[in-house]
Amino acid sequence: MPASAQLCAGCHGLQGQGIDPVGPRLAGLSAEYIQQQIKLFQTGQRQNPTMGPMAMTVQGEAIEQVSKYFSSQDVADVSTHVRGEKVSYDDPTERLVYQGDWERIIPACVTCHGPSGIGGGQFPRLAGQQANYLKAQLLAWQTGSRKGDIDGIMGDIAAKLTASEIDALSQYFSTLE
Amino acid sequence: MNFLKKVLVAFAWLTVVFAALFSYVSLAQATELQDKQAELTSVPKSAAGEYLKPRSLASIPEGEFGDKVRLGYKLFVDTQQLKDKQVGNELNCSNCHMNAGQQANASPLWAAYFAYPAYRKKNDKVNSYEERLQGCFTYSMNGIAPGKGSPELVALSAYSYWLGMSGLMDKYQVAGAVPELSDEELVKGGKRADFPVPEVIKQALTVEQRAKLPGKGFPSIDKPKLAYSPERGKVVYGAHCQTCHGDNGQGVEMKGVDSLPPLWGENSFNWGAGMHRVNTAAYFIYENMPFAKGFQLSNQEAWDVAAYINYHQRPQDPRFKGDVQGLKDKYHKHQGYYGEEVSGSVLGSEKSKEN
Repeated sequence: MPASAQLCAGCHGLQGQGIDPVGPRLAGLSAEYIQQQIKLFQTGQRQNPTMGPMAMTVQGEAIEQVSKYFSSQDVADVSTHVRGEKVSYDDPTERLVYQGDWERIIPACVTCHGPSGIGGGQFPRLAGQQANYLKAQLLAWQTGSRKGDIDGIMGDIAAKLTASEIDALSQYFSTLE
Repeated sequence: MNFLKKVLVAFAWLTVVFAALFSYVSLAQATELQDKQAELTSVPKSAAGEYLKPRSLASIPEGEFGDKVRLGYKLFVDTQQLKDKQVGNELNCSNCHMNAGQQANASPLWAAYFAYPAYRKKNDKVNSYEERLQGCFTYSMNGIAPGKGSPELVALSAYSYWLGMSGLMDKYQVAGAVPELSDEELVKGGKRADFPVPEVIKQALTVEQRAKLPGKGFPSIDKPKLAYSPERGKVVYGAHCQTCHGDNGQGVEMKGVDSLPPLWGENSFNWGAGMHRVNTAAYFIYENMPFAKGFQLSNQEAWDVAAYINYHQRPQDPRFKGDVQGLKDKYHKHQGYYGEEVSGSVLGSEKSKEN
């Protein structure tokens, strides 16, 4: 572990496995996503009382080191369910995940977050992430305390979700295996 | 429709068919790939309430016909299951036809179905719906089109028909299940006087009106104030598109699944696809991009970024016979960059992809 990552491990775990409810899982997120988030915390586009100051402790080359270290940690495999495996979903949460709700211009989550929300590039993995973290993020998108999405796409989608949909989606992704 | 009208429509239709049959086609031309990706005609935008709303997929009936409709949906959203067979790139139909082909102004299937068969002056031929779908496979999917009457084309036709007919039936309050059609009927498309349509709908819409349902195609936008510029488009791309489509247009793959579509390069649509035209891409982008937002870009930005995307190498036009300039003169007299020289290499000089 790079020295610069030791402070992070206090909340995110030595292998970035996350410590609920102090810090979300970092393993399974891409290095470029983690890097980008550190920068967003530093510039205040993501606001969080703990992560704001913590992000400031990581500077220069350390940003890349820390990101690479945590993104390369092992994470549970998820069985991928791709769009088109099923035509209709009885469960409204699954329907949102795999088909979206275009009446409200909500696309399927998996379009950007990948099959089973596996994530990649600038799109975070959702599968197996802590439910309360996922919920906090969707709410942060809604209130605007989290920004940094291109053209406000995620903020726009989150704004359209109801409180119970946020609960159900957070639960759904956290328990995906 | 009264009897006289019926006769007139039938007569007009026959004239078209005979014109096509008797048009002189040399043997060489007959074996050539036809240009089946003619420029889409768009219809003016209208208030959202006017768009057809297909029934929920959950109401597709059990049984053989329903199975075809369901297979059509599955192929449409996961076209990659045909990779290396009928599909030669990393795209899925639903990349451009949003919401599984149900989104108005993103070339919805429910409107396309009733626009075929269509007579095309360009190849002097009547194109059935399945022939149009074959064009999608040949060009947009850079693959080998499934044969006429194949399960894939029947399924995609069935899905398109079901979306369109269920939407029409709900709009004109026709109760009951969508009438089941034979494979032979399905693949022709719905723009024909003899196409079976419930009487109420027949009274409400002529065949021509049915072929121009609000929301069809991509709505056209005004010409840009300044001539479109790939250089300016590059800046737009970096700011708005790169996160999803990659710094080199390569898209994003996640766990082996092509999640976000490549826009140029060997895994995208080829030089025969409609989307390689700058205007078509600009219309699509302005209306539908950024994803699930649309209308974030100015008219000028949409044109510029469309130019930038189409100013790169992509798979060869399947009609290529070894002569870029010749093909350019024959098929590329429109807003596009085929045959143009960009930083020392000629666009369209890439080899065809063997698959």
